[in-house]
Amino acid sequence: MSKPTDLVQGTVDLLILKTVALEPMHGWAIAQRIRQVSGNVLQVNQGALYPALHRLEQQGWIQAEWGESENNRRAKYYSLTKAGKKYLRDEQANWERLSAAIGLVLNTA
Amino acid sequence: MRFLKIVSHRIRSLFGKSAVEQELDRELQFHLERQTAENIAAGMTPKEARSAAIREFGGVEQVKEGCRDERRVNFFEAVIQDVRYGLRTLRKNPGFTFFAVAVLALGIAACTAIFSIADAVLVRPLPYGNAERLVMVWEDAATYGFPHDTPSLGDFSDWKARNEVFEDMAALSYSGSFNLTGSGNPEELRGKIVTANLFSVLGAKPILGRDFRPDDDVPGAARVVILSHELWTRRFAADPQVIGKEIWLNYERCAIAGIMQQSFQFPGREAELWIPARFTKEQSANHGNHFLNVVARLKPGISLKTAYAYLETIAKQIEKEHPDENAKIGAYAIPLREEISGDSRPAILVLVGAVCFVLLIACANVANLLLARAAGRRREIGMRLTLGASRGRVIRQMLTESLLLASLGGGTGLVLAFWGIPLLTSLIPAGIAPLSGSEVNVRALVFTFALSIVTGTMFGVFPALRVSGVNLSSSLKQGVGRDGVASGGRRLRDVLVVCEVTLAIVLLSGAALMIRSLQNLYHLDPGFRADHVVVMRTPLPRQKYEKFAVRKAFFDQVLERVGHLPGVASAGYTTWVPLTNSGGATGITIENQGVPEPGQRPIPNVRVVSRDYIRTLRMKLIRGRVFDERDDTATQAVVLINETMAKQFWHGADPVGTRFSCCVDPPEKPAWITIVGIVGDVHQAGLDVPARPEMYLPYQQSDFGYEPEYLAVRTAGDPMLLAEAVQREVWAVDKEQPVADVMPLENFVDENLAARRVQASLLGSFAGMALLLAALGIYAVLSFVVTQRTQEIGVRVALGAKPGDVMRTVLSQGMKLYAIGAVLGLAAALALARTLQHSLYGVSASDPVSFGGVVILLAGVTALACYVPARRAMRVDPMVALRYE
Repeated sequence: MSKPTDLVQGTVDLLILKTVALEPMHGWAIAQRIRQVSGNVLQVNQGALYPALHRLEQQGWIQAEWGESENNRRAKYYSLTKAGKKYLRDEQANWERLSAAIGLVLNTA
Repeated sequence: MRFLKIVSHRIRSLFGKSAVEQELDRELQFHLERQTAENIAAGMTPKEARSAAIREFGGVEQVKEGCRDERRVNFFEAVIQDVRYGLRTLRKNPGFTFFAVAVLALGIAACTAIFSIADAVLVRPLPYGNAERLVMVWEDAATYGFPHDTPSLGDFSDWKARNEVFEDMAALSYSGSFNLTGSGNPEELRGKIVTANLFSVLGAKPILGRDFRPDDDVPGAARVVILSHELWTRRFAADPQVIGKEIWLNYERCAIAGIMQQSFQFPGREAELWIPARFTKEQSANHGNHFLNVVARLKPGISLKTAYAYLETIAKQIEKEHPDENAKIGAYAIPLREEISGDSRPAILVLVGAVCFVLLIACANVANLLLARAAGRRREIGMRLTLGASRGRVIRQMLTESLLLASLGGGTGLVLAFWGIPLLTSLIPAGIAPLSGSEVNVRALVFTFALSIVTGTMFGVFPALRVSGVNLSSSLKQGVGRDGVASGGRRLRDVLVVCEVTLAIVLLSGAALMIRSLQNLYHLDPGFRADHVVVMRTPLPRQKYEKFAVRKAFFDQVLERVGHLPGVASAGYTTWVPLTNSGGATGITIENQGVPEPGQRPIPNVRVVSRDYIRTLRMKLIRGRVFDERDDTATQAVVLINETMAKQFWHGADPVGTRFSCCVDPPEKPAWITIVGIVGDVHQAGLDVPARPEMYLPYQQSDFGYEPEYLAVRTAGDPMLLAEAVQREVWAVDKEQPVADVMPLENFVDENLAARRVQASLLGSFAGMALLLAALGIYAVLSFVVTQRTQEIGVRVALGAKPGDVMRTVLSQGMKLYAIGAVLGLAAALALARTLQHSLYGVSASDPVSFGGVVILLAGVTALACYVPARRAMRVDPMVALRYE
């Protein structure tokens, strides 16, 4: 299995964190949500989605709980932990700073 | 919070593996179902919908593996796999495994055992409060042959009154026997007469009852006693009600004041009770009677050196005040720890060194085995590397294997040590480990484990690095053993073998020197014959035997009765049989030699003996006659002196017929004693200690201030068979008389040599282990070489090499390693033998017989170890060898 590059990995992490920050969500819904919200631009590779979820859980940013899904099946719901909320804030700020900086460079050059 | 979550996650991932796997499965399953439902909603048929979902998802197994990776499950699984694989490999090579584990276990067990004992004797704090400030104080009477003399009461009192360096000083008599009567059987107990402050000086307190008070320790005070825990348990059933009760000791009432705690021992292990001394003023002023042990506590911040200086000054003052008794008598202090570990310190250090050597050899051997095995596995490793195993993975796997081996060895070694330490402690007499309580301690345990892990890593890493660095294609193409790796590995193995031989030579020569010393001591003529003699002590209670005539009658009757027992050759009484007391001396004035200067007075040992004692011990008569019937109270006072005394005090003149008087007599009215004979020297202080001047006085003639206590009986057959009969005769004379320490005289000789014997036998067995291990090491290396070179040997034989040539090649290879090791070993052994100097007797530290013998012995064993693989090489069939592989 080829590992995604750091940028991609970091981005996927950030997108997942942001998505589950709204409400607890299962894997499939997270993927759907990202696609819809990004207007079908961002398609999270499912081969990367689940390892990323497990990694984030392992790192203590998100936690998982089994719950009833919309079609009455048992599904694993992920939600942000307290530490995860803070982490998301920091990462989001980082990202905004970074993209603003890149934008600046691109616009002035 | 987050940390806890992470930890609980990891634990769940590791141990709740099946549950986690199930969840993962369900999670992904849910995803697929959800996607399928979505696809159906978009208008696909269910079948299409499902396969589209799977297609979109990618490989389910890959995703799972990715998740597991993130959960770090794989790492642990790999470890478990490695351990399983390692165990399987070890099981598949039972010979190798058994040998490596056994070698490591033996080395580690020996090491743990010796370290535990060394820790107990040399490192662990003594069981007294602030023991580092405790010292023993001695008189230095080296001028008279007693450099380590028991102080007199007068000196003790003066030291105590005048010093400014000690918080307090306590004294105790060096031995005392107490006849316990009244309740139950009469029993002789070992006790100490002590000053009341002994326990407080030592920083110890009774666990029950009270400590002595100063008013217990004045003349006429009511008698009180403190019992040892052991005596209290044994004799009084650990009854707390005994405090305040009275017991009969030496026919006197004595109230039990307290019980000491279980671990308390002072000064040796043998004291069972302590009684206040109640010294009188006159006794406390006596400077002539040297019989005390003095223990003192240094004031905080006072160094031993300062204490020395103060003691010396006081000793000088006392010398001036009492020129007669104290001329040339100094004073000094020795830390209690040093006093107690005493002679055993160098002996134990030598053993520690020896056992480290054994461990080193064991490690070298295991390293050798691992190297040889790793070399044999190059192809397997090459295959695995080719199939995609990372180098780190291969190294990790090999490391796991050697760690497994090491911990197996360490574990087994620990079990062996647990089992071996009691054995060792029982072997080691009081002389070498004066304080009991040598058991496997935590420090030694940690040490062992650290050791086995270090050994494992060290000897796992090296071959692992070496082998995993193999050039893949070459190792696969080539067969066993012809590329650079093998020769490099062999050089290392050669070095290890040379080290083993070196260490073995050092150990063997140390053991040889010790054993030769012991032999010399056993064959040494100590001046008496210890065989066929039973001895026992009959200390007469003072109260009952106050009058000289009564005592004399007792000895007369006992000797008369015992002498008539069938099987008894002769019987004698003495104050001390050889090896029980190095001192017991008194000053004399020799007639016609003038009054000696202070400090010049001859002070020979005194032994008050019965007529037949000289004959019973088979001492030699050099000149004159021994005592006979003529010597009695009414006749001329007579004395026998030993050769050393004749030489030292008569300077070549014939002493027989001359007279001297004991210095206790007033000089103006000397009671002259005539010398009637010269007897051979007897080693009183120890077999390896030369005799002091000594005189023998017949007990019948007068009360010399010493009374005979040891009854020695020479028998025709086994002396112990008559022991009971002799005791019955003693009781026939006085049925209340305690009889103690019944044993063959040979026991004293054995005991005297016990420390050396234990040291020699331990060193000997370590050396034996070293010899065996070195031989096995050489054998292993040569066997491997022969296997490796089978093809080459085959070619040589095919080209006409004779079997003899082949054999010579292999043999010479082994012997070359041996020769290098032997030269290095001899050099190291000669250098290290000096540390053994203190325990050598009659052997020089460079004894050619010992060293030569060791070199020849090891050469023989090496030749044998080389011969087996060499013979195999000789029998190589060229046809088979060339087809080999």
